[in-house]
Amino acid sequence: MIQLKHVWKKYQIDDDVVFTALKDISLILEKGGFSALIGPSGSGKSTLMHIIGLLDKATEGEVLVEGKNIAELSDDQLSTLRNEFVGFVFQQFNLINKLTVQENILLPTTYARKKIEYDPVKRSREIMERFGIAEKANSYPNKISGGQQQRVAIARALIMSPSLILADEPTGNLDTKTGNEIMKLLTQLNKEDNITVLIVTHEQDIAAQTKRKIQIIDGGLV
Amino acid sequence: MDFVKSAFFDFSRNKGRTFLTSLGILIGVLAVVLLTAFGLGLRAYIEQQFKDLGSNLIRVVPGQILKNGSFSNTSSAFMSIQFDEKDVQKLDRIKEVAIVIPVYSRSVIATAAKNKESSTLYASTEGVFIALNLKAEYGRLFTAQDVSKRSKVIVIGPNLAENLFLSRKQAIGQSVKIEGQKYSVIGVVNKKGGGFGGPDFDAFTYMPYKTAYTLNTNKTFMAIILQAKSDKDTKAVIRQAEDVLSKQYDQDEFSVIQQEELLSAINSIFSIINTVLVAIAAISLIVGGIGIMNIMYVTVTERIKEIGIRRALGARKSDILLQFLVASVILSLIGGIAGLSLSYLIVLFIQPFFPAYIDLNSVLLALGVSSAIGIIFGVFPAKKAADLSPIDAIRYE
Repeated sequence: MIQLKHVWKKYQIDDDVVFTALKDISLILEKGGFSALIGPSGSGKSTLMHIIGLLDKATEGEVLVEGKNIAELSDDQLSTLRNEFVGFVFQQFNLINKLTVQENILLPTTYARKKIEYDPVKRSREIMERFGIAEKANSYPNKISGGQQQRVAIARALIMSPSLILADEPTGNLDTKTGNEIMKLLTQLNKEDNITVLIVTHEQDIAAQTKRKIQIIDGGLV
Repeated sequence: MDFVKSAFFDFSRNKGRTFLTSLGILIGVLAVVLLTAFGLGLRAYIEQQFKDLGSNLIRVVPGQILKNGSFSNTSSAFMSIQFDEKDVQKLDRIKEVAIVIPVYSRSVIATAAKNKESSTLYASTEGVFIALNLKAEYGRLFTAQDVSKRSKVIVIGPNLAENLFLSRKQAIGQSVKIEGQKYSVIGVVNKKGGGFGGPDFDAFTYMPYKTAYTLNTNKTFMAIILQAKSDKDTKAVIRQAEDVLSKQYDQDEFSVIQQEELLSAINSIFSIINTVLVAIAAISLIVGGIGIMNIMYVTVTERIKEIGIRRALGARKSDILLQFLVASVILSLIGGIAGLSLSYLIVLFIQPFFPAYIDLNSVLLALGVSSAIGIIFGVFPAKKAADLSPIDAIRYE
């Protein structure tokens, strides 16, 4: 589904200082996979996730989505792909505090260019019920708990029926119990909804709950 | 929808900032709309005055007043010749002329019993009442017979009647002394208004022009009013009147003008003055727009993270651009609508004293201009927001 071929990411820090964040990464994410990208902080795992999620571009190498080289896509086409193909879940939840829970979940549908075949409002209600946050529909994100906020974020990632969910340290801001609940939810999405899930983490026991571990150290895969 | 809600949320969270920013636009719109309202009121007032004088009339006056449709600046406008009865007779011979109305006018002191009042003597024919659209409220108007018989009668304005005789009705049959001569009041005309620096028609004294020869010893006239038999004869009357008079006087010693011509010349002067004033007021709108641009840059910086989130969820550059443009247009429109409302209240308050009014054009212009300012001054901050790289924006803390 997604293939990375010899991907490098370099940052020009000064005139003659170049920082290499990713070194020659080649990787294939299969459809329906449930993987963990694991590495210590500063290993380049977030950068790699941003490249897989089409938020960032590789300095060298190719990123292929369903066989298409994304280097050939325009900014608008990349936006559409992020909208339809990828769902993001962040450590900081990254909800918009001035919109209600339901409005946050519906936000990606306002940017949809394709015709959505289902009723987005009805679908958002179904997802909220499934995640146990239905009674918070009209609450604002800063008025609900961290666990609930992360459920809202996952619901938002799910609303456009993406093929891929990218979760960047999804349990990083939660206590162990809530973190486990979120992991259960992501596992469920992979199993029952057949969505490809990639979790970025530095914790071994989180990675242990996935089917495949991808180790990254100092910008290179191990 | 989300854009509008989002914009209002930001504005309500920063009420003070929103208020101060839209204040600039408010003041600009207020100044422009009020000046336009005053200009419109002044124009309406002048037009009404002319209408009251009777329209479709041709005036023969001394001096060169109009030159190519605007006011002449030659000194000849002030070096008056005066017309006499021969001129009146010559003009009367023009085939297309229906009525010729000579006018002699000057200030006089009118006395009745113990009361003394200053008045404007307006000596003419019975035709003057048709030309000035005057009717007798009490008594009667003087007739052609009164003119030819030199009857010692006068018709007076309602204010003069009240000032001299307490009531308008009581004035009928009383006598008024003007420069040693006694005249009998046979009629009081209806109210016409006036003032504001113009002549107060309601304090005029109308007298048959032949009767007035005792006061007008030179037997001359300041103006001769002509009425054509029909509207389509007007041009022919003007041309022939010019021919007749140019045998007697130099071309620049007199003018034959149509009421409408004079009105449009006055109007064009007022609209130039008004345009200049409105243009000066519009500078404050530009200052207001700069204020909006400033705040929009601050808003973009405050919301970089949000922009990153939206981009990650699939927002295109154009979506972000539109979001910030909507915000700045709303901000500007808040000021525009507030300014418009405030001008409306002020106009409502001054309307009893001055006929200022806000027309639909001003409303549309105020709303259009404030939207335009929102777009023009919002586009650079919005472009900055749209051009942020998604990854830098979402990582921004």
